[in-house]
Amino acid sequence: MSKLENKKFMVCCANGAGSSLMMKMTLQKVLTKLGVKPAALHHCSLSEGKSAALNYDIVLCARNFAKMFDDAAKKGTIVLGLKNIMSAPEMEQAMKDAGLLD
Amino acid sequence: MADTILQKIVERGHYKFVDKVDSWQDAVRLSTESLVKTGYVSENYYKQIVDCITKYGPYVVFDHYVAMPHSQEGAEGANKTGVGFMRVKEDVDFGKDEDGEQKIARLFFTLAAKDPDEHLDNMNQLMNIFCNEDLLDALMAANTPEDILQAEKDFPPEDILA
Repeated sequence: MSKLENKKFMVCCANGAGSSLMMKMTLQKVLTKLGVKPAALHHCSLSEGKSAALNYDIVLCARNFAKMFDDAAKKGTIVLGLKNIMSAPEMEQAMKDAGLLD
Repeated sequence: MADTILQKIVERGHYKFVDKVDSWQDAVRLSTESLVKTGYVSENYYKQIVDCITKYGPYVVFDHYVAMPHSQEGAEGANKTGVGFMRVKEDVDFGKDEDGEQKIARLFFTLAAKDPDEHLDNMNQLMNIFCNEDLLDALMAANTPEDILQAEKDFPPEDILA
């Protein structure tokens, strides 16, 4: 079974209305391709995301926002910062690098 | 079939073609102009976008000269849901991002979001456009609303999520 199965995902951008939505669409595409069903898939603003990050297994954001989740990362949340939020291959690679893919 | 986002942009007069701008702040302001004229956003809406980019950096500038200035969903000053298009002939410099990469834009797709469903559909369509470099090149060469429609005919966006 995939390590991504039944995980809770959160996608964040500054406003929670633009790039996070696009990133969520990219994530859905990747998960569908991998045949993974997430337990939760939430998109929101950085301000909401910062306090909510601990409730999620995996946080995705643009690379420049990744360090805002350092606290959650220390406590075990996996944070994936991407350069191109619309790139499914980059997202898959980031998951692989984080040891999330078999 | 429902109108595509580019057709809506043309029908609603949400487009602008300029040769150059004074600054990225000026570009953001100009990119909201057609939305202001039609009552989609308030005159001051652009200031929220400028503040946000100033605070968080040029994360709204993507690959291939594309910028997507936006504020929050249901933000103050966003009265309707739509997208304002602007093509600038000369590079608009947004400065460097945290990786030291220079962020440059010539195509602006400025978002006004009021209705979540329509906004989601717009974002889906924009993503397909942003991933279609031939279409982006044609839009960068556009000078009229007819050129926008022709570009879409010549290089129809594919549903990349399908």
